[in-house]
Amino acid sequence: MLAEPGHYDYAPYSGRPRIVWPGGARIAVWLAPNIEHYELEPPDNPRKTPWPRPVPDVLNYSHRDYGNRVGFWRMADVMARHGVRGSVSLNVAVCDHYPEIIERCCALGWELFSHGTYNTRYFYDLSEDQQRAVIADSRETILKYSGQSLDGWLTPAITNDETTQHVLAEEGIKYTLDMVHDDQPMPVKVRNGRLISVPYSLEVNDVPLFQNRNTPVERYTAMVKAQFDQLYAEGVESGTVMCLPLHPFLIGQPQRIAALDEALAHIVAHDGVWLATGREIAAWYTEHYYDVFSKWLAAGTPGGRR
Amino acid sequence: MSDGIPNYLDYPWRRRGLDHDRFLHRNLPQAKPTVWPGKARVALWIAVHVAEFPMDMPRAPFVAPGGVDRPYPSYWDYTQRDYGNRVGIYRLMRVLDQRGLRATALLNGAVATRYPALAAEIAASQWEVAAAGVDMGRLHHGGLAEAEERALVKQAVGALRGAFAGKIRGWHSPAHSESMRTLDLVAEAGLDYVADWINDDMPYPVTTSAGKLTAMPLAWDLSDQHLLFQQHMDTAEFVEQVLRAFKTLYAEAAETGSGRILTLTITPWLMGQPHRIRALAAMLDRLLEPVGVWPATGAEIVDAWRASN
Repeated sequence: MLAEPGHYDYAPYSGRPRIVWPGGARIAVWLAPNIEHYELEPPDNPRKTPWPRPVPDVLNYSHRDYGNRVGFWRMADVMARHGVRGSVSLNVAVCDHYPEIIERCCALGWELFSHGTYNTRYFYDLSEDQQRAVIADSRETILKYSGQSLDGWLTPAITNDETTQHVLAEEGIKYTLDMVHDDQPMPVKVRNGRLISVPYSLEVNDVPLFQNRNTPVERYTAMVKAQFDQLYAEGVESGTVMCLPLHPFLIGQPQRIAALDEALAHIVAHDGVWLATGREIAAWYTEHYYDVFSKWLAAGTPGGRR
Repeated sequence: MSDGIPNYLDYPWRRRGLDHDRFLHRNLPQAKPTVWPGKARVALWIAVHVAEFPMDMPRAPFVAPGGVDRPYPSYWDYTQRDYGNRVGIYRLMRVLDQRGLRATALLNGAVATRYPALAAEIAASQWEVAAAGVDMGRLHHGGLAEAEERALVKQAVGALRGAFAGKIRGWHSPAHSESMRTLDLVAEAGLDYVADWINDDMPYPVTTSAGKLTAMPLAWDLSDQHLLFQQHMDTAEFVEQVLRAFKTLYAEAAETGSGRILTLTITPWLMGQPHRIRALAAMLDRLLEPVGVWPATGAEIVDAWRASN
């Protein structure tokens, strides 16, 4: 086992090269709806049991199913009303199961990136060939249903194995979300090719907040606003990234959907906000800052307040 | 380096629609609009868990939420739940009676057998009674043999048919837990709606080997057991969440022209506590204030939904 991922060197949040987003924006805000399918009868994985109860776990399965039947549609309407696009963390089998959801995403100009095939198919213990097969499946499925290229990746249930980031880079994935170590994109050290990390979030994420802690709805809104306000303020010095991950089975519940409405109203009311997709953030960073940051890292991160 | 997991990338159910054949996938905005009696916007379904948690309940395959958590003999767990059947539910009945509201009791068969006085009170309040298994220790789950599960359904439904004059139509499995056969056995026992799957805000048809059932949306993410008990939310916040849900559903009904359902899933050992009962009463008054709210039992909602669909 490894003591650390080994995909990045320490980079202080001080003295970094300055990032400026398109149009001089100081913060890139992106929304990552996780559109998922959890299987009723998933296969066993040696390191993670899909359901807490014996199969069929009707309670937990149907809770997630709510997202595709009801929650997604509510969430998409709220995002559309604010003119905010989504970058979909997609279990690509959803394209086959519920193509009308994908049609709606495409009609709204959303990006699709891969969150594996199903959320009950983990990467733990997969061979590299199996990982490649899943990535190829994602690439083909997303292309077939949306015409889009596969640029981004979040391993299902963040169950990546030690080799996954290397395989992603070799398969032409441009950005990974498996690491939440930073508020700015960063180069990822891989054995071949080029990969960057784009900030995702396990903090302002509705699963830990609603599912694990049942944060009161108005506290959720306050947390999302606070996250934005701070990153917006820091963005004067150097561009930051705020990711708002969403899960339709949680945020799309009738008691919660207004929280998203309120949070987005707050965000879009500010100037200097780049409402971007994951792909756009990755492309801008890669084009303008990948080399700059790589040099800075190679030089030992000079320029801080030390 | 890993050799991988054999056959891990086989996807036998990857197809259009769901990965089982019980019902069809439905996108709620595309569902046929439902018209409630009196063109009401929101049906208010009050579903009350009336349960028996045996002190010697098995701990496998899992313990139902609210079930024994401490070493045997846990008077802590047993008596706190039993409080609901002795005191809490009478408080709930009074608050509902005062407002002319009738609930659906999701009743463990064991409660009707053990407490005939309570059964008589529920009947006198004209609540609907739905079968909710034998008791909270007798779970329906994938490891149960078919004959054993059939006997459980029969025992649960039989206990209620013996104790109540009216027809028993609804089913709720303890802890929302089912085997692959539960729906077949429930239909076979002559019931016609089920409230276990928490995947929708509106009813939908379910296929079984013994005919059709209607699935009813029994709230779980908004239930007092989940919020107050499992997630330790305080009462005021629970009330706030219910009112928020109502606001969304009420507005949605106006926008879409299709009725909606707010299911208030409550539990006597939680909402029937002295420190919570006034909050419940006040919340009900708030919910009944707007025009276009139709308080109804589960069976009444099922009938209206079928008539409209």
